[in-house]
Amino acid sequence: MASPSSFKQELLKKWVLGLQSCCSMAKDMGISERKKAIKLSADLAMASARDGRTCWSRAVIANASKQNESKILVQKILGSECERLVKASSIGFSSCNKRFTSKRILRRSCSSLRRIRRSAPKRVQASSIAKRMVKKRTQLLKGLVPGGESMDEFSLIEETLDYIISLRAQIDVMRCLADASERLKSQ
Amino acid sequence: MMNTALPEMLHCLQTPENLAGNGADLTVLERQRAQLKWLQQQQQQYQQIYFSESQFNVFLPPTTDALQLQDLINNDTTLQKLVNRSMKADSGLANEWPDFGKYSTTSTGFAGQATSFASNGLEPNSLAMGHCLSRTSSCPPAMTLPDGEGRDSVFIASVVERERMKKRKADEAQNPMVTVSEDIRDKRVKVDAEEMESKITEQNTSATISDTPPTTTTHNSNKNDNANNNNNREASSDTSKENPKAPQVPKPDYIHVRARRGQATDSHSLAERVRREKISDRMKYLQNLVPGCNKITGKAGMLDEIINYVQSLQRQVEFLSMKLAAVNPRIDFSVDNLFRKESAQTFPAPDCTGNFSTAGLSSEMANPAYLQFNPVHQVVSLDNPQEMALRRTFSAPMAVPADTFNETASFTQVPHSCSTWENDLQGLYNMGFHQQGRSSAGFPPHAFPGMPEANNLKMEM
Repeated sequence: MASPSSFKQELLKKWVLGLQSCCSMAKDMGISERKKAIKLSADLAMASARDGRTCWSRAVIANASKQNESKILVQKILGSECERLVKASSIGFSSCNKRFTSKRILRRSCSSLRRIRRSAPKRVQASSIAKRMVKKRTQLLKGLVPGGESMDEFSLIEETLDYIISLRAQIDVMRCLADASERLKSQ
Repeated sequence: MMNTALPEMLHCLQTPENLAGNGADLTVLERQRAQLKWLQQQQQQYQQIYFSESQFNVFLPPTTDALQLQDLINNDTTLQKLVNRSMKADSGLANEWPDFGKYSTTSTGFAGQATSFASNGLEPNSLAMGHCLSRTSSCPPAMTLPDGEGRDSVFIASVVERERMKKRKADEAQNPMVTVSEDIRDKRVKVDAEEMESKITEQNTSATISDTPPTTTTHNSNKNDNANNNNNREASSDTSKENPKAPQVPKPDYIHVRARRGQATDSHSLAERVRREKISDRMKYLQNLVPGCNKITGKAGMLDEIINYVQSLQRQVEFLSMKLAAVNPRIDFSVDNLFRKESAQTFPAPDCTGNFSTAGLSSEMANPAYLQFNPVHQVVSLDNPQEMALRRTFSAPMAVPADTFNETASFTQVPHSCSTWENDLQGLYNMGFHQQGRSSAGFPPHAFPGMPEANNLKMEM
């Protein structure tokens, strides 16, 4: 995208499309359902406005297309390039998952080794504490960024950068709409 | 911008970096002596505070053709990129690879450290030229020996020590210039400058270019790089780069990273060092993106802050979607109304918004007679969106108090085709972003011929 404003424009357009399709699918919804639908469509719009170029947006699309009820919404929002994106994202995501599991196995074996080794010299160094702290926080961050489980540290940080910027744009758009609708309501 | 320019954004924070070059013809003995001195000097420099400064010592043996080296470097774009990258990673400021060809082989004696802070790092075809300020050189003019392009100045000096002293002075004189060097693109640089004030860490990067087998000599290019950013401290501060082997070798585009003394030299730890540097580079950008993260040192604290920020953003999304769900009983909440409303809010003219608020967007009160104008509206909406946005103003006299808001009703009857949506959005954004300064007074009242009762507030699609 060329500029933040055009990104927001794209996001809004896609979001409105998604909302409309949501509305056409289900007429009467409770407030929690409505909220869920709104959030899902906003997330999907954000991801598709990002055009599936980043890992997190692909993860969002893949997650949404896995669930049956949101599949139609994905198709509606993504429109013409839906198939391409979904395919690409699911492929990339599954391979990422595979890599992740293998990594986990590796980590498990490594950690068992380390446990044995660590038990011998019974001192805890400050550097190891710091390392553990960083690792813990990295895991936390991986849980926050969609699709972050499969990323290595470098790409995780890059994706976090991108994700933060996109989230900001999404919040701007949503706040715009929320303000407008609230004012509309108050009259 | 975000989409494509994110990496560029990450990289565009370029300011001219001080690059001091050394071109020298030395015998092996001389070179060794110089390196010894250099190391001693190094120790002193650690105690001193420098700004972004990088020395670049290039020792060229007299037998070697400098052009070979230049060709090697110029051909090797990946090398350049990597070196640039690592430079950025070191200092947070951008470097350009110095033009090696500018160092003449005929220079006699020890072409000492160039104290010029001129933009000798610029490549001739570099696009970044426009961004980089050309530095004025802050060294004695008598010492300068600018070459043909004037980009590169080589200083020839016999005494290394004196040269260094001068360099130090010049560096100190340079410091205010660094801070005030205006960069139009980013305030990040200012942040960097502020960071420089508070915490300055020194990083030392020495690049070693090992040379051609036929000549069996080595080019040593030592780059002394002072980093300004605090999160580089934890990263290993010393890296060495080694140029690929002979220029005659057909594939010279791989890079050796060489460890300095006391560092591990096996390939794993070297790769690890490069990786860590890359990560800390990105962390720096994140640090600037996340508010309140600038003051935090340490990776764990920074990660904490980032996590908090992402969580707060996600919570905000949750909250906003909840709010939207609560406010609107239906999920599509007649977005048309919202757009109308929003576009009304973008108008600065007070009477406009006032009229709009009094109009109340009461779509129920709409006169059904207006529905016949839907085709007309649609036709208009297919116009040039810019023009449409301009016309999307009040088409009725302002003086008349608006009691009904017809257009909303009429618009809700319009079947939503995709094109109208796009036009609508386009119009909204045009209004939002381009028409901020305009008031609706400039637009003449626009009466529909078949509408005697068209004294209402009306918007034209």
